[in-house]
Amino acid sequence: MNKLTEERFQKKENRFVPYIMSCHPTYEASIEIALTLQEAGVDAIEWGVPFSDPLADGPVIQQAGDRARKAGGSLRKALEGMKEARQQGLQAPVVLFTYVNPVLSVGFEKVIEGMKEAEIDGILIPDLPFEESEELRKLCNEAGISLISLIAPSSSHRMEKISRLGDGFLYYVTSLGVTGTRQSFSDQISHSINELKKTATVPVLAGFGISTRDQVRHFQSIADGVIVGSALVRFIGEREQALLSENESKEALKEIKEFVQELIS
Amino acid sequence: MNPIVKFCGMRSFEDYQKAVSTEASMIGFIFAPSKRQVKAADVSEWTRAKPYKAHQQLVGVFVNESVDKMVQQSIEAGLHIVQCHGSETIEEVTAVKKGTGALVYKTIHHHEGALEEMRQYRDIADGFVVDTKTQDAWGGTGVTFDWQAIPKYTEEANRQNVPCLIAGGVTVDNLAKLQRYRPLGIDVSSGIESDEKKDERKMMAMTKAVNNTYQAPDYLGRFGPFGGKYVPETLMFALEELEKAYESIRHDEEFARQLHKELKEYSGRPTALTHAERLSDHYGGATIYLKREDLNHTGAHKINNALAQGLLAKKMGKTQIIAETGAGQHGVASATVAARFGMSCKVFMGAEDIRRQELNVFRMRLLGAEVIEVHSGGKTLKDATNEAIRHWVANVHDTFYLIGSVVGPHPYPMMVRDFQSIIGEESKKQMNERIGKLPDEIVACVGGGSNAMGMFYPFINDDVKLTGIEAAGKGTETPEHAATLTKGRKGVLHGSLSYLLQDEDGNIIEPYSISAGLDYPGIGPEHAHLRDIGRVKYEAVTDDEAMAALQDLCQFEGILPAIETAHALAYVKQNAQRMSKDQVLLVCLSGRGDKDVHTIQQVLGGDNQ
Repeated sequence: MNKLTEERFQKKENRFVPYIMSCHPTYEASIEIALTLQEAGVDAIEWGVPFSDPLADGPVIQQAGDRARKAGGSLRKALEGMKEARQQGLQAPVVLFTYVNPVLSVGFEKVIEGMKEAEIDGILIPDLPFEESEELRKLCNEAGISLISLIAPSSSHRMEKISRLGDGFLYYVTSLGVTGTRQSFSDQISHSINELKKTATVPVLAGFGISTRDQVRHFQSIADGVIVGSALVRFIGEREQALLSENESKEALKEIKEFVQELIS
Repeated sequence: MNPIVKFCGMRSFEDYQKAVSTEASMIGFIFAPSKRQVKAADVSEWTRAKPYKAHQQLVGVFVNESVDKMVQQSIEAGLHIVQCHGSETIEEVTAVKKGTGALVYKTIHHHEGALEEMRQYRDIADGFVVDTKTQDAWGGTGVTFDWQAIPKYTEEANRQNVPCLIAGGVTVDNLAKLQRYRPLGIDVSSGIESDEKKDERKMMAMTKAVNNTYQAPDYLGRFGPFGGKYVPETLMFALEELEKAYESIRHDEEFARQLHKELKEYSGRPTALTHAERLSDHYGGATIYLKREDLNHTGAHKINNALAQGLLAKKMGKTQIIAETGAGQHGVASATVAARFGMSCKVFMGAEDIRRQELNVFRMRLLGAEVIEVHSGGKTLKDATNEAIRHWVANVHDTFYLIGSVVGPHPYPMMVRDFQSIIGEESKKQMNERIGKLPDEIVACVGGGSNAMGMFYPFINDDVKLTGIEAAGKGTETPEHAATLTKGRKGVLHGSLSYLLQDEDGNIIEPYSISAGLDYPGIGPEHAHLRDIGRVKYEAVTDDEAMAALQDLCQFEGILPAIETAHALAYVKQNAQRMSKDQVLLVCLSGRGDKDVHTIQQVLGGDNQ
């Protein structure tokens, strides 16, 4: 059952969706973090797959990916880890965030199969734009998995055709450039998001560069929700040692929970 | 498969005879009122006098004719196909089929509801012709429709498992553009006429172009399955903008004139074609010629593309050029062009490469470029490319990304190939002038593959053996090599699908070669395609083999080649003796080796002292 398309997610207000990297800093720790995010009250989780050449990501996520790969992280491990997280009680909708090459390497069909086993609800591939996504879209449709599309401020005439096939939610990229925290955002963004909301049949979530409580509030007032990645991934990275230590990991997880609750509050 | 060719509107026995002598598989006659109208009796007489070829089919075109008349004329003329070109109903089409036993094609006039109309004739029409809809004529007006729509028609026809021909204004001149949309067939009438008569030369040119033309990429930027545009949505706009700008200058005479002027007066083109007499004698076998791209300004073929993209950037109103570089050659070429055209330039270079290529870094800075040190990943070319793309995403409005090889998302692989094709075009002309024939084999080194693509492309339809040489580093049986085609798997890097060196999880593996210009983990998508269709053969040579060939060229011809180029020369060293003296082996001497002197000294130091 795809939890992104269920009423609970579709009708919710001020959605908050955090991004974390699987196997960051370790396989086990990332599962615990996912469970912690659920406790903090998030509406869905983006579950990142480490890749050697993450074109759309800034240094924070690239470094987290490098760290995750050292810890054995991969697409297969991400699927396996989510399956385990589900067994441990993770209920929130989950979106697999991966670059296209790891998916090609494993094979579209096998990835879909693995996603179904791990009860992953959606997939987002930043370097698979609309024009290249037909084959995967078909497979996702058949499997009842949402293929999440990105929309950028520069999408202009492409916006309509992308939003028409929107599934689960639409990911509005709030700034040009890569993922990572930002000081300010262009004013045109709110206008552009409003335009998009008019044609969109699914919620429009804003992401890329959102890192503070004020920014979260600002974008929740414009869009249907926000996605926070780098700020959280950095926060996790800073607690790597604590997360790996038996004595301190509980405290680190508590801090992560508080960090997220503060962003949502 | 080559598209079906239908030559339509034969008005006389002469026209018909000309069509029969071509390779066209369908010959069409108009039975509706038109300047090209003929009678069934005439057709029957002509075919008796001159039988058509076994694979040719006769097509009769009718516009809103009664079923009875269509049946009667079809039988009298001996038609294989009845083409209903008006607004004939499903019932009428079915009746004609029954009455004649012939195949019936339905013409669809391109408009918004055309696809829906096509679906209605499913299992009834044996084929489709898509023509331009005009207000007062049932096609045959020589006007093209928006070819962007062709793939949709083709897809529907494929679903119905029937052919679909594209009509309306097809000429020898626009055929290449049409073929990028991969039509299943073409239907030509006015495009093969001169002075109201069928023109044999135009007909021949058209069938030759259709049957013998290597056409890639398609409108999506695909070379077979390779290529495409695998970039984040944030970049799609910039690529579309670039594609439009490139299409606008592609056949623009003014742009061609400006570029020609720069290539000639600034870079010193045409570059020489040198007969390597002593080297040929030493290797004993093939007669070896060298295309001297090393004589270009800045010492390599890279400047050809950099000048062209620089001009394009200027035309697009961009003020900043960014580029990635590995060894620094493309960085130097980009910095050079930015200086020449008065633009600012940022060159992204891996920290590791900066350390190895100190002199080129200094050279770029001297030319006014800002060299940006990249610390992510393995800190080499691949990471510099990632960083350049990231910078481009954030600064798309005023920044032009000058990619140095036939890699990256569409339109780069096509555009860089086209801009480098001057190498092959000049070679072809020089060969013809010098020895009155084309070479038997051409060899070029391949990293991303721009010198090879530029050299090969103009020869692709000719009977010339083409060979690309990859870097085998310390040997393809070791982990230290850059032999992407020999050892890679299909994957996506830097915006296109090609072969890649990658691990089982799809992470990119750092390649190795003594030559900094060849150690790229991917390869241009067109090379992947040319390998898979068997048009170009690819081999790999090791560092040691390249260095030995480099010394030969120094000693027998007084030319110090770049280490990249030496890989192509190593193939020559190994294979020249298998050829005879009257066979010509042409080498693309892509660059000079001055930049490599330090490396060469380190490797050979002991032997040469």
